[in-house]
Amino acid sequence: MTGRSQQVRLAEGLARQGHVAPAVNACYQALRIDESDPFVHCLLAELMLSGDFYDEAISAASRAIELDPECAPAYLALGLAYDRRGGMWDRSILVWHELAEVVPDLVTAHVQLGEAFAAAAFEEEAIDAWRRALELDPSEARAMYNLAVAALKREGMATALPGFRKAGELDPSQDDLFFSLAGVYDDGEEAPDPADVPPDRKSRIAAAYGLAFEEDYFAAAELIRLILDEDADDAEALGLASYLYLKQEAANEAMACALRALTISTRTPTAVYCLGVAFARRQGLARHAARVFSALAKAVPDEPMPHVLLAESLLALQRFSAARESYLTAVALDPACVRARFGLAAVLFTEGRHAEADWEIRRAAYHDTRRQGLFWALYDEYAEGRS
Amino acid sequence: MPTRRKGPRDRRSAAPRTPAEAAPATEAASADDRPDGAAAPDTPVPGGPAAQSEGIAADLEPLADHGADAPGTPAPADALPAEEPTPAAEPAPAPGRAPRRNALFPLGVNHYPLDAETSGWDDWYAADPEADFAAFAEARLTLVRVFLSWKSLEPQVGQYADAAEDRLQELVEAARRHKLQLIVCFFADDRLAEMLDVPWGRKRDPHTDPYLLQRQTALIQRVVNRYRAEPAIFGWDLANEAFCTGFTSADDLAAWAETMRDAVREVDPDRPVLLSVDPETLFRHTGVDARAALGPSEIAVSHVTAPYRAYAAEGPLTSGPSTYLDSFLLRSASGGVPVLLDDVGVHSLDHSHAEESAAVRTALYSGLMNRAAGVLLRRWRDLDTERREPYFRDPFEVLVGVRDIDDEPKPVMSEVASFARVAARIDLRRYTLVQERTAVLLPAERFEPLPNLASLYDPRACLQAYIAAKEAHVPVTVVHEGDSLDPYSVIVVPSAFSLEDSTWERLSAWVQGGGSLLLSYGGGDAPDIVRELFGVEFLGDGGARATLSCRIAQPDVLGHLTSFDARLDVPSFALLGQAGATVVATDATGSPLLTLNQAGQGRAVLCAAPLERALAQGDPWAPPGAVTALLRTVYAAVASAAGCGAPVACDAPGVELGLFAGEGEDILVLLNHEPATVDVGLVFDRAVTAVADVRGGQPVVVGSTDLAVPLAANGALALRLSYG
Repeated sequence: MTGRSQQVRLAEGLARQGHVAPAVNACYQALRIDESDPFVHCLLAELMLSGDFYDEAISAASRAIELDPECAPAYLALGLAYDRRGGMWDRSILVWHELAEVVPDLVTAHVQLGEAFAAAAFEEEAIDAWRRALELDPSEARAMYNLAVAALKREGMATALPGFRKAGELDPSQDDLFFSLAGVYDDGEEAPDPADVPPDRKSRIAAAYGLAFEEDYFAAAELIRLILDEDADDAEALGLASYLYLKQEAANEAMACALRALTISTRTPTAVYCLGVAFARRQGLARHAARVFSALAKAVPDEPMPHVLLAESLLALQRFSAARESYLTAVALDPACVRARFGLAAVLFTEGRHAEADWEIRRAAYHDTRRQGLFWALYDEYAEGRS
Repeated sequence: MPTRRKGPRDRRSAAPRTPAEAAPATEAASADDRPDGAAAPDTPVPGGPAAQSEGIAADLEPLADHGADAPGTPAPADALPAEEPTPAAEPAPAPGRAPRRNALFPLGVNHYPLDAETSGWDDWYAADPEADFAAFAEARLTLVRVFLSWKSLEPQVGQYADAAEDRLQELVEAARRHKLQLIVCFFADDRLAEMLDVPWGRKRDPHTDPYLLQRQTALIQRVVNRYRAEPAIFGWDLANEAFCTGFTSADDLAAWAETMRDAVREVDPDRPVLLSVDPETLFRHTGVDARAALGPSEIAVSHVTAPYRAYAAEGPLTSGPSTYLDSFLLRSASGGVPVLLDDVGVHSLDHSHAEESAAVRTALYSGLMNRAAGVLLRRWRDLDTERREPYFRDPFEVLVGVRDIDDEPKPVMSEVASFARVAARIDLRRYTLVQERTAVLLPAERFEPLPNLASLYDPRACLQAYIAAKEAHVPVTVVHEGDSLDPYSVIVVPSAFSLEDSTWERLSAWVQGGGSLLLSYGGGDAPDIVRELFGVEFLGDGGARATLSCRIAQPDVLGHLTSFDARLDVPSFALLGQAGATVVATDATGSPLLTLNQAGQGRAVLCAAPLERALAQGDPWAPPGAVTALLRTVYAAVASAAGCGAPVACDAPGVELGLFAGEGEDILVLLNHEPATVDVGLVFDRAVTAVADVRGGQPVVVGSTDLAVPLAANGALALRLSYG
């Protein structure tokens, strides 16, 4: 087995830094030195894919696979290029099958395989692929969304709604909204040990947010309890308490805390959010959830997530055109919002606009796979295996 | 009688640009006036299918069911407002009598030899063509392209099959009976009929092998010689794009085309010779530049292919850039000759009937509004495939027609019929499209091979610029670097990486002479001439940024711009210093974003960021509204200041306008590129007294310069406007 040449490493470095044109040039120079280096073709495929030049990506990835049939990153690039280009589902299915064999625990391969099957109208096979993806990673939101869409196509919205709700719960970006509303951002520092937190309200609430951000809900709840022991009418602390209850699936308690917080101060956006989420989790309260999220969307119009949440509650009320408008607003604010894309697809399916719905699902996959950045993980593994 | 043309027209010479120009008025008049309908279909008119079809269309006039378009026509044709008498010798259709077809804008269809995947190559046009040709005529079509099978016609070297020639004869006779005209394509690949696979070819390459070229020449001359006096032949098509994808070099393609063209010309010096290749899509697909091969063609061809759509405008067919792609390629393909908009239709059966109809409607109206010389539908009848779902791949895109496999018309057929009725009512001898004096420049770097990424980025950026101009309702076309700039008042150079030095010199002289140049920085260094022309100091490339900020420094200099911050990945940002130019807008740090410089008698506007490329590389289906508004406002302002702005003010950016100006009244065609209903507010520069649907109906009195028109999702409308 051979390692990578200096020229390949140069191209690789440029590509990792996002310098597409110089990286492409470096790849071509590397090809002049050794046309049969799969690394270069593989890199070239990824670079072309990053510019949405699918035919070029297909050509380069195919060549890489031809040179080394074990080149997993090339399969990934090839499959993604087929899928993003569209209309090549037969080939795409083969590629994802291959990749699933080369890297059996690669969840994305199964999700993509399912989407390729679905696009090719092999619904049963698609469902099997998504279920396999969820077996590998139960938190794979896109597989769950796809299953919900499949249920929607077969049995209608009523059957599909729990699936959409569950998929939404897997979406970590919803938590980002809570922390954004609270003004908490990831500063890269670890949350303090609860034992080391100074006994003042400011330190405690800051530490509680930090711990909640790191998903240490029990420690955060301890600090909140200390704050509320000193001041039971601390709206902000109640808002965070509500969030912590939500994370522990205690919707009733979350609702109570949020309502209490809002009774004390209506200007507690975190409590508004938690109340809406709690309503949305309880069957029959979608109308209340819609009202709450509508208020939240008006309060923070530039955030896509409140529009998504509003759209989801409208979807539950079967108010499809209003849901579509909210989803569209969310997509306009954040074209990479996978959750909004799938929701929009669901609405479009119910309206019989299948091609547009399929397009939204493809777009969701596009953004999701770009966000994952799987290529470099596979590339590094592949490089390690060859060295 | 129209005069016969003596020889092939030089493509770059004074060839007609529009269907109306293509048809000499006197010829047209004489054809239409002929009371006996003997409009001499055997006397092709040079200049394009529009002009060519004049003869056959005139022939049909007396047979037309005037005023009885179809059930559902809004009002009887005699409810039309009386039209002004046409000046000189250009007769208009008599008031209340509607022609069945537009003589200068023919519709046609590709008639493929096989209708079922299970058919063998020897079933080539085996079915009786009578029913199909009757249906073509009934659908108001004028042109039918048929595809010869070399394998069927010449099964043995030099021995031509009588049976195959008889089938071709049947096609010709059917066309003649139904007053249709054929475009005969000699060498076509359709994946199914194995038309090129001559058994005696011994795997030689039909694109370059001298012996096969010799045999091809012989076949061409045999066919052309047989039909050289045949009135039902419109023109000769050397090859389709599927065949031409087999060429690996531009020189080979040019040499092949020249040989075949000469072979036709030796026998038939009159009829137009086409090469059904869109240079842009072919280059994208094969890297072969077909422009040299297309040079001498009297008629150019443009079409959207599935790979090109995936490359340039992927996404829903009914919204976003995809809906502008037909007209963009149409404009791009015109090198001063009429362009036939070919292969109109969807590429797969993935789409609903509604989407298919919307896509075809958009393409048809785009053709009409963008100077197509005619339109050919992709296929008449769906291919009956083997029983498998879905149709996975259709590399040559020949599966989907306007009728299903049972020959039942699909909903899209009614779109074609509806469009034909509208087009028939727009007399292109009386109404001419407002001249485009704004052009988007496609740089020569587009034709450079990889690793130059400019060749991949530029067409997308140009498409975005084209869309922005369309959204500003500025009449716009596309020119290639190297084309003459003289016909234009505004040139847009969108996000080009580099232009040739000679181009900069020409642009500089052109601006000094009164032109308006709009350049968006594309990255890299700027030559001295650019600094002088735009009145700026170039301080380097500030690199990529994820947010585009705009702060207005000089309000209302380039339209009504507003400040904004938008999330958009901008790949470059030119750091500019002032050297005489007016800074119209800056970024958040005060670095110039938009500058305006008076240079000689002209103006040079510079945008410091490649906005068109950024939009194209972002999510073109959810572009930041503020950025698209900035672009279209600047385009509109520059064009307006140059005296070639929007002929009609319109408040709906997604609605394309085509104003056909006439004497005393105009026809305004509106096309909604959005999949949502819109109320279009129009403001004219003079009071409109009455407005009516061109298809007929009672005129509505307006008496104002303002007009509001509701337009359905992806809808189109053609209005006849009368002025006081």
